[in-house]
Amino acid sequence: MEIIFKNVTHSYEANNPLAALGLDDVSVDIKNKKFTAIIGKTGSGKSTLVRHINALLKPTSGTITVGNREITPDTNNKNLKPLRKNVGMVFQFPESQLFEDTVEKDIMFGPMNFGVSEEDAKLAAHDMIKLVGLDEKYLSKSPFDLSGGQMRRVAIAGVLATHPETIILDEPTAGLDPVGRKEIMDLFKNLQSEGKTVILITHNMDDVANYADEVIVMHDGRKVAEGTPMEVFNNQKLLRDDMLTLPQSAIFAQKLSKKYFKFDQLPITISDLSTEIKRQINGD
Amino acid sequence: MENIISIKDVTYTYPDSEAPAIKNLSLDIHSNEWLSIVGKNGSGKSTLTKLIDGLIECDSGTIEIAGQIINEENIWEAREKIGIIFQNPDHQFVGATVEDDVAFGLENQGVPRDKMVKEVNEALKMVDMQEYKTRDPQSLSGGQKQRVAIAGVLATKPQIIIMDESTSMLDPNGRKTVLDLIKRLRHEQNMTIISITHDIEETQLSERIVVLNDGQVVKDDEPKSIYDLGPELTNFGLEEPFSSQVASSLRDTIKLPEGYLNEEELIDNVWKSFSKM
Repeated sequence: MEIIFKNVTHSYEANNPLAALGLDDVSVDIKNKKFTAIIGKTGSGKSTLVRHINALLKPTSGTITVGNREITPDTNNKNLKPLRKNVGMVFQFPESQLFEDTVEKDIMFGPMNFGVSEEDAKLAAHDMIKLVGLDEKYLSKSPFDLSGGQMRRVAIAGVLATHPETIILDEPTAGLDPVGRKEIMDLFKNLQSEGKTVILITHNMDDVANYADEVIVMHDGRKVAEGTPMEVFNNQKLLRDDMLTLPQSAIFAQKLSKKYFKFDQLPITISDLSTEIKRQINGD
Repeated sequence: MENIISIKDVTYTYPDSEAPAIKNLSLDIHSNEWLSIVGKNGSGKSTLTKLIDGLIECDSGTIEIAGQIINEENIWEAREKIGIIFQNPDHQFVGATVEDDVAFGLENQGVPRDKMVKEVNEALKMVDMQEYKTRDPQSLSGGQKQRVAIAGVLATKPQIIIMDESTSMLDPNGRKTVLDLIKRLRHEQNMTIISITHDIEETQLSERIVVLNDGQVVKDDEPKSIYDLGPELTNFGLEEPFSSQVASSLRDTIKLPEGYLNEEELIDNVWKSFSKM
């Protein structure tokens, strides 16, 4: 589904004209079936932005179009189920949302909440647990006996079990060890290659460089840039205005260019960096 | 070197669990040292922290803090020497304002009011948050919240600070602010820093890295030697340092010295090979 924000403003205190805006006149197009990263400092409006996509928050003014559904300030809370079924949201620390006494029931909760039969929900649980890289034997365990990384996978399986077309991930890998982080990021990339739209909020610029097709940069509730990772990380204005931090490879290239080396475009991944260093050393 | 914490042959098994979370673990932590504890999710890092802070009690073995073996009678006294900064600052706030929040730990210790006001102000000054004194903690940014949490810990004047993945939720600027602050406090206040982390770049700030696996210490060495493990680091829940990954990708073309190179050393070597061309 294509997601279009048109002049969206969100005020957390609608009656106070002096209050800072959560979103300030944001217009942005999130492309269908792409992997889009949303970056920006803490408090820049990233989470506020994505919470509008499944109408957890409603705009103070402006509209959001999600597929054929339109969300406006007047949208009421009825009939939001089809939208929320199509837009799965994994919050920070999703394991805090686990509550059932077995992993299976926890994963089944979402689909059954959306009217799927118990039998089909069970099938979904068996499919999803494997998809997130856990053995089926975990289904009968209590979610609270699992490690942090395993709990996180169960929570993600629960969101995926309703087969959303769009998946929103709000810092899904915080606190995971690097191996766990890579597995989860690869899982999201696979989901995208199977045709889902993936939206990721992250502070990890290396993940942005390695996984995202598109990047949206937020600052003080405003969208200040969008483009491919290569375009955004080479946006001189953003860097000058301190609205952006760079992937490690780009920082390394900057340091290297103090002597001998010259980068027209800063490389953003290790393989780009290494290719470019070798090219310049070999002088071709 | 004087030991501020001495752990001897400690074993701990969670109720309802078959395998011990910590197995015959011994570890000495020196006074004023910055120690990183690393390991995969589930390797025993958090359990070890809880044992040190007396939140759970060892099944066998002893833990000595500042010269005293901890037991039921002296655990409160021992705990006053330790401040813990957790991962998610949102879970740490109890007060309606920043200053109330920082005062909470002191109130618990029964510090008289006038002394408390003075110490809260001093702690907020140390983390450079005095101008936010009357703000609601929830209105602050992640890095600011974590600084307030640190002020709360500092107000109780601990000798030991345990950082339990306390920068993992912060954006890059917030992370830098917190780490710079910890660096400074360690020198000014002569504190011992124990940092539990998955972040290899953060371990470069420490003097020693202890690797836990399955509840045991499997490596205990200076960072440079630990980084020399190369790709094996992923078995212990760490990434290879960025400079090592870059170095590996260059070795087929550029001649580089063996072993771990930090970023500066790598850049120098790459420059050298350029100027020789």
